[in-house]
Amino acid sequence: MSHPTAPQLLEAVRLFLLEAEGALSGRLAFHAKVAANTLAIVGRELALDPDGAQSAALAPFGGVSALCEGLRRGALDPADGALLAAIRAATLARLAVDNPRYATLRRLKDREIP
Amino acid sequence: MLDPMGGDGMAALGRLIGRGVGEAVVIRAVVPLSGGASSATYRVEADIGCVLRQFIFQRTASAEHSGLPRGVQAAVQQRAGALGVPVAPVIAVAEPGDGLGDGAVTVLVAGEALAQKWLRMPDYETARAGLTAQCADALARLHAAPVSTWADLSLAGGSGAELLAGMFARYLELGVDVPAFDLAFAWLKPRMPTRPATCLAHGDFRSGNFLVDVQGLRAVLDWELAHLSVPAEDLGWLCVQAWRFGQWQLPVGGFGTREALFEAYRAAGGVVALEDIHVWEVFGTLKWGMSCLQLADDHVSGRVPSVERAAIGRRVSEVAADLTYLIAFGDL
Repeated sequence: MSHPTAPQLLEAVRLFLLEAEGALSGRLAFHAKVAANTLAIVGRELALDPDGAQSAALAPFGGVSALCEGLRRGALDPADGALLAAIRAATLARLAVDNPRYATLRRLKDREIP
Repeated sequence: MLDPMGGDGMAALGRLIGRGVGEAVVIRAVVPLSGGASSATYRVEADIGCVLRQFIFQRTASAEHSGLPRGVQAAVQQRAGALGVPVAPVIAVAEPGDGLGDGAVTVLVAGEALAQKWLRMPDYETARAGLTAQCADALARLHAAPVSTWADLSLAGGSGAELLAGMFARYLELGVDVPAFDLAFAWLKPRMPTRPATCLAHGDFRSGNFLVDVQGLRAVLDWELAHLSVPAEDLGWLCVQAWRFGQWQLPVGGFGTREALFEAYRAAGGVVALEDIHVWEVFGTLKWGMSCLQLADDHVSGRVPSVERAAIGRRVSEVAADLTYLIAFGDL
């Protein structure tokens, strides 16, 4: 191997922050923990490409901006099953990066949209 | 503004409490409890006629603060207490001449304020079992008071439709596209009530604002977001996922079921429809999501650089999943 990859650098800094957390107290310790979690999000984002997944899921509705605009103008029906399914897929892709352990992720994934 | 832990500040605090209790007061200790973003809280030990008594001094810490002035908050809290809602009795409200800022002193009520503790620790099992009914009773008493009870306090308020319109305008200002948020705004728009406010809503009635001991609810804290609204707003807010602290199977604050809350609220004389609670739970979930967006914007805009606020921006995805689930399946 030549040099550490970006994910490996992130992981090194994340582990350092967790070590620093143990030596800190109060607000600084809390912020070190938050910072370590934040680097874990960045690591997952590099691996998973949630923007790409969101765009693909919402493509049938013209993409993210067009879908949001359609809902704002009242052109899209918030009860439409296909729309709900697309938003669910986009939301799951983002949540898998931001907090894969969030209870609603599994629940939303496992239930069929009626 | 005096430091309540400094010599002059302690003397000023002694005079303020003395004014409230009508006796000479000597401050023995002032201990900082928490440094929230918008308010600072201290525990105060005072000698009054050779008896050591404990108080809470809380004051607004920054210009960012958007809640009610302490004087109005104290009045709301006292009147709620008179209606039978458990609250910490107010001792005195600071005036400009006191040099203590916008602050107030209340009695220290014994109990646990950290929801993560009382929701999980076995000692609080009895407390948790009774809490849904106690919350329902407190809200039913608060909501039963006519709007005229609060008329002299010039509180903000409006219909649900107006509250939603205000939130939507703020969303557009932030200039972000969150599909599940737009879904929720579109879903809520035809469902929000247009009738004027009928009662006082606490405005932040959730697990994190309860003082609980092993017997149950001892005090409802933080009245600074009180406003005029409809009963279902407080009931829906209590069910928002973010206050369940991982106990997601129990939608009422992580300790109860919606059905039990609804039954107990009606048994206590409250009038509300179950569907309305659902609508306001969606509204409350979106409102929490808007707070996440706002905190993230504080960082992204450079106004308040903060790793904590930046990280909260990614909690938007949690809220997006909750909103999608709530709208697709009708409960969460």
